[in-house]
Amino acid sequence: MSPRFLIFAIACCILLVSCGKGPGKKDPMSETAVVALSGDADNLNPVVSNSTTASEIWANIYPTMFDVSFDLREGKLKFNPGLVQSWSFENQGRDVVLILRKGVRWEDGMPVTTEDVKFSYELYGDTEVASPRRNYVESMIFTNNKFDVDKSIKIIDDTTMVFHFAKTYPLQLFHLNLPPVPKHVFRNADRRTLRTNPANDRPIGAGPFKLEQWVRQQQVVLSRNSKSVLPSPAKLERTVFRVITEPTTRLTELKKGTVDLMQPIYPDDVEDLQTNNPDIKLVTLPPRAYDYIGWMNIDTEEYHRSNKRIIRPHPLFGDRRVRQALTYAIDRRAILREKLKAYGELAVTDFSPIFRWAINKGLVPYPYDPEKARQLLRSAGWTDSDGDGILDKAGRNFEFTLYYNVSNKRREYVATVVQENLKHVGIRVNVQAVENTVLFQNIDEKRYDAFIGGFSVGLAIDPSDRWGDVSSSFNTVGFQNTRVGELLKLGLHARDERDAGPFWMEIQSIIHQEQPCTFLYWIKDIVGVNRRLKNTNINTLGVTDDMHEWYIGDPRAAMSP
Amino acid sequence: MSAVPLLFGLLTFTFFIIHLTPGDPVLLYISGDIDPQYAANLRATLGLNDPLPIQYVKWLKSMLVGDMGVSFSMHDEVVNILARTIPNTLILTTSALIVNFAIGIALGMAAALRRGKTTDYIMNVVALFIYSMPEFWLGLMLILGVSLHLDWLPASGMHSPLALYLPPFEYFLDLLEHMILPVFVLGVASAAATGRYMRGSLLEVLGQDYIRTARAKGLSETIVIGKHAMRNALIPIITLFGLSLPFLLGGAVIVETVFSWPGMGKLTIDAIFARDYPVIIACTLVSGVMVIIGNLLADILYAIVDPRIRYV
Repeated sequence: MSPRFLIFAIACCILLVSCGKGPGKKDPMSETAVVALSGDADNLNPVVSNSTTASEIWANIYPTMFDVSFDLREGKLKFNPGLVQSWSFENQGRDVVLILRKGVRWEDGMPVTTEDVKFSYELYGDTEVASPRRNYVESMIFTNNKFDVDKSIKIIDDTTMVFHFAKTYPLQLFHLNLPPVPKHVFRNADRRTLRTNPANDRPIGAGPFKLEQWVRQQQVVLSRNSKSVLPSPAKLERTVFRVITEPTTRLTELKKGTVDLMQPIYPDDVEDLQTNNPDIKLVTLPPRAYDYIGWMNIDTEEYHRSNKRIIRPHPLFGDRRVRQALTYAIDRRAILREKLKAYGELAVTDFSPIFRWAINKGLVPYPYDPEKARQLLRSAGWTDSDGDGILDKAGRNFEFTLYYNVSNKRREYVATVVQENLKHVGIRVNVQAVENTVLFQNIDEKRYDAFIGGFSVGLAIDPSDRWGDVSSSFNTVGFQNTRVGELLKLGLHARDERDAGPFWMEIQSIIHQEQPCTFLYWIKDIVGVNRRLKNTNINTLGVTDDMHEWYIGDPRAAMSP
Repeated sequence: MSAVPLLFGLLTFTFFIIHLTPGDPVLLYISGDIDPQYAANLRATLGLNDPLPIQYVKWLKSMLVGDMGVSFSMHDEVVNILARTIPNTLILTTSALIVNFAIGIALGMAAALRRGKTTDYIMNVVALFIYSMPEFWLGLMLILGVSLHLDWLPASGMHSPLALYLPPFEYFLDLLEHMILPVFVLGVASAAATGRYMRGSLLEVLGQDYIRTARAKGLSETIVIGKHAMRNALIPIITLFGLSLPFLLGGAVIVETVFSWPGMGKLTIDAIFARDYPVIIACTLVSGVMVIIGNLLADILYAIVDPRIRYV
């Protein structure tokens, strides 16, 4: 076989496959949107699914209790009728009466009733199922530490039911918004193995789309559910979610026009896209995720040795003045400029800027001020007594290791800047990249003195896990403050969300003062959308929140199949 | 039969290594929307709270009855995952292996038979050039050049989004179209190395006395090369082929990642990072079996190619 023959053979192959595309027929892609995913859905059953990717998909298959929107001007969730036609609060707000819409049917023709909703909440609350959304039932009625579904939920008839709560709090409606699954499908399912129940792979829903095909690790195809009344059948014939793991390949597909929507676009790619791809629209999402540097507030050695009983200040970071000094010493604005450009904002506390009504606007971000940092460190007793350029106190040098997850280029940059910045104030930082799973486990178990972490916040304010109990895995730095504990209770028990505002603001004030972490920046995710895809209304609830309203606007821009 | 204890040892070793590696599989999913107690509940449901020896005994019992367990990250039976992934990998790797050896042997022969001539030099330079290119880079360059700028071929995946509606032949053509770039990267890059082996091996054989004798007998060059030289020259290539067989099911991590090809290589790597113990062990089992089969096949091929080799 000569090289010429080889080239000829490859050319023939390309020609052969090109012949497969014939003009003439109606292009099926003119009714189809393609969304690129970085990974596959883990599960299409909302009770056990725990990936964001999966929720973008199943939210369009299963019925939603309420049609929820997030009002960015007010910074609040708005609840409109969905499967729940109307609702009222009784018994001083502890009971919520829900009236379900009549005539809603699952794809298989069975009616959606209050039995389905009650059964679904039973699944969500069962510890054997291990649902990631179990906390939604935590304020309902418990008997012997077990979620008591019969005391929590009373069925009046097929469309009327009452939810009983142990207390009133602002998130009651939010916690009633878990999608129901059909009882007749899962009634006999083994709870412990619900994750792998075959019915999860062929969901029976009542939403605007239905599952047409799921080729694991490749794609999920949803097609229009023409019988849906929640809220209506999708305008698109179908949406294909394609798994494309490599970011460069994903971006290439978007540029090529073979993908209509992808998230995230990296800030470094924005300029190129804006210059060379006018057919791609870039949408910036409101910030719901932030990066921070965790300074361990408590002495972890003592904490673990005493089996989490003895809590003493950390020898390096236990002093508030030291933590403030560290924030002053780090040039957070420089990091923001370099890595996020216009797609981020300086973080003051962990309260997302989207909750406008609850944000304490009086708090000013700590400026980059190495001199102020040195003063604070001096007042905390850290001086360079031996003249080696490193601060010391009682014979101990101010030196620690800063951990971050490997392959996260943004955090790698942060680690380098922190190392350099803190060197100028006399602190030696060793930087160590570790694998994701290792980092998460060590943060969860409070094994690190300092680390770069990230957090994405929910759609309603609930800082209790973050700043409440020291042992909570979300309280990654072991922060504790009596006043914050009181304020959390007050805020979470307020009858109306607005009433909790002053409590949240005071918590922010304390957090800002205490600096349990150095909050770095809020990240505004960027979504790339092909302009042929119309009415996307991408918002803070997710890119596919209004997917049933999407349509293909310009047929001339339709892609090749 | 001696392979059975070998496999058992390999799997036991993998079981303990992966369980002793730091990192908790359930913590990957913790975020602001997730119940903080979720990890504890899930750990109990998945049996991860048991002491390691108990977990080992349970795992051993399951393996003996052919139950490979359930994937933590994909929420599916491992057997189903393998059943889906192995064919995808075989399509890619078998094609790549055919391209690799077909092109490699042809180029090696051409270079050896034109030793010292311009063709030989050009082939050497081109082979080294291709061989030196990292697969990751070559894959991305092809995607940018052939797919994005020339728009000749798709950039990723095994099929077009709506391939499920295509008739069988067009479905096959669609697959073929998606295979060209990944098979090229995998096959042609390796062919460069195979070609170098083949060239060296054939040159060595061509210098042997029996080749001179064959030519002196007046045999045609086709018979001398095809019948006498090639059979001997192929022996090192068979060793290479045997060593390549585990790759058939082991997959090709980099190429699968760049081209979003849902194969075994990517499955293994994703499972390792997710600490998906059942999947990791299953992938190790598949690779282990392939190494054993590969060696067995190579031994059989030696006997076919070289009549002097006999197994008793």
